[in-house]
Amino acid sequence: MVRVEDLTVAYGGIEAVRGVSLEVGEGELVTLIGNNGAGKTSTLMAISGMAPIRSGRIVIDGEETTKLPPHAIVARGVAHCPEGRLVFGRLTVQENLRLGAYQRKDSAGVKQDLDRVYALFPRLLERRSQLAGTLSGGEQQMLAIGRALMSRPRLLMLDEPSLGLAPLIVQRIFSVIQQLHEEGVTILLVEQNAHLALTVADRAYVLETGEVRLAGPAKQLIDNPEVRKAYLSQ
Amino acid sequence: MFTPTYVAQQIINGVNLGSMYALIAIGLTMVYGLLRLINFAHGDLLMLGAYLGLLLVSAAFTPLILTLFIPMLVIGFVGILVERLAYRPLRGAPEVTMLITSLAVSSIIENSMVMTVTAQPRAFNLPAGVNQLHTVAGVSFSTLDALTVGLSVALMAALTLYVRNTRTGIAMRAAAENLRAARLMGIDINRVVMVAFFLGSMLAAAAGWLWAAKYSTVEPFMGFLPGLKAFVAAVIGGIGVIPGAVLGGYLLGFAEIFFVGFLPPAYSGYRDAFVFALLLLILLIRPNGILGASTEERA
Repeated sequence: MVRVEDLTVAYGGIEAVRGVSLEVGEGELVTLIGNNGAGKTSTLMAISGMAPIRSGRIVIDGEETTKLPPHAIVARGVAHCPEGRLVFGRLTVQENLRLGAYQRKDSAGVKQDLDRVYALFPRLLERRSQLAGTLSGGEQQMLAIGRALMSRPRLLMLDEPSLGLAPLIVQRIFSVIQQLHEEGVTILLVEQNAHLALTVADRAYVLETGEVRLAGPAKQLIDNPEVRKAYLSQ
Repeated sequence: MFTPTYVAQQIINGVNLGSMYALIAIGLTMVYGLLRLINFAHGDLLMLGAYLGLLLVSAAFTPLILTLFIPMLVIGFVGILVERLAYRPLRGAPEVTMLITSLAVSSIIENSMVMTVTAQPRAFNLPAGVNQLHTVAGVSFSTLDALTVGLSVALMAALTLYVRNTRTGIAMRAAAENLRAARLMGIDINRVVMVAFFLGSMLAAAAGWLWAAKYSTVEPFMGFLPGLKAFVAAVIGGIGVIPGAVLGGYLLGFAEIFFVGFLPPAYSGYRDAFVFALLLLILLIRPNGILGASTEERA
């Protein structure tokens, strides 16, 4: 579905990602784990066309998208739920969701997906005419995920969906992620909670200072002593 | 001295002036919200709209309303052109670079006009009926005053509906709030910016026509002061927020008229100083303007 080849992202002189290669297959749930500054967010931003790519290629469905602007990448079925949620606080919950479907022309399908998002997160239905800025952190995260789903994505990228949330809400969000995975949505998940990420993912890449340090099936990495020591604090 | 009639008269004058400031301020605030660009050339589009109106009015073009609508449409496209040629190549450049560019654009437009039509002020005379005075309960206003307020309110209502309900309108509000997140939604920012320039320039042209009609004159530098004051209005209301521009515009219009109308005549020469003092005062209390987002909200 998406392939990243030897990607280098640099902000000014600082290289945030250095020669990363990774791949997410159709229907897979792949996670990127690693510490702060390892280059996880920059990798997602590069796929979305939002980061300054110095070298390397990004291929979506066999088509190179390295130099395409963000709206062209969304048009190719990629939805990006960014770190820090970035919901539009001055817009209502429903307006936020409608923006997620900005490029879609099939209003019947959009209506259907709106109902689906409200079914996944009933809290959003209760608050649909409220300004998003008045929601709690957990509700904003639900909104951000719902908004990403509204484009009916073929690849869903989630950046730190559990960040700063209460355990109960994290559980709710991860059960939705698993449900989406079972429905066949391809997911690329960036997560600082490595244990949680490795539990739900099929495969994982461990990033360290902008490079891929380890890669493999999540079940194997969860037992890898190096991973246990560095990321699972065991 | 301050009879109810007199006060009512001042209110009418305030609404009148405020309407024009609000029309101009909307374009400034939309563009600032999206690009963080203080567009000094905005007042010059107002001037171009007034000249185009003059051309049509002098040619006795009818119906009269078309001498207003045609410049609005044309100047809307001029706004798109200015953005395309001068501002788009600077996307992502520091704010100061964009600011200086807009000053340059302003100079170029003004001086081109001086070179082609000379700096000589020209009379902008509408058919006599438009300036006819009506007196209701001792308060007098012209047909033009009524047109100014009615048209401004109608245009602002239309813009509000557009920005509230249409897909592009919602995208515009989203982009003004958070450009990065808006791009992640698949919003083509160039398109939204284009629409903002079109609509904003259209409103500036309308204000230019009304301004020229009110003062019965046009000249190449006529856009400078209204542009600057409208900028003050946008900042007072909270720059980047459209209702803020409207509120700021009316507030400024009222403040200016009341200052002149209720203080001894000796002070009236200081009205612009007063306007800018008011700006400083409001910003001391509300650094982001009355309806502006607080800095924390603005990720």
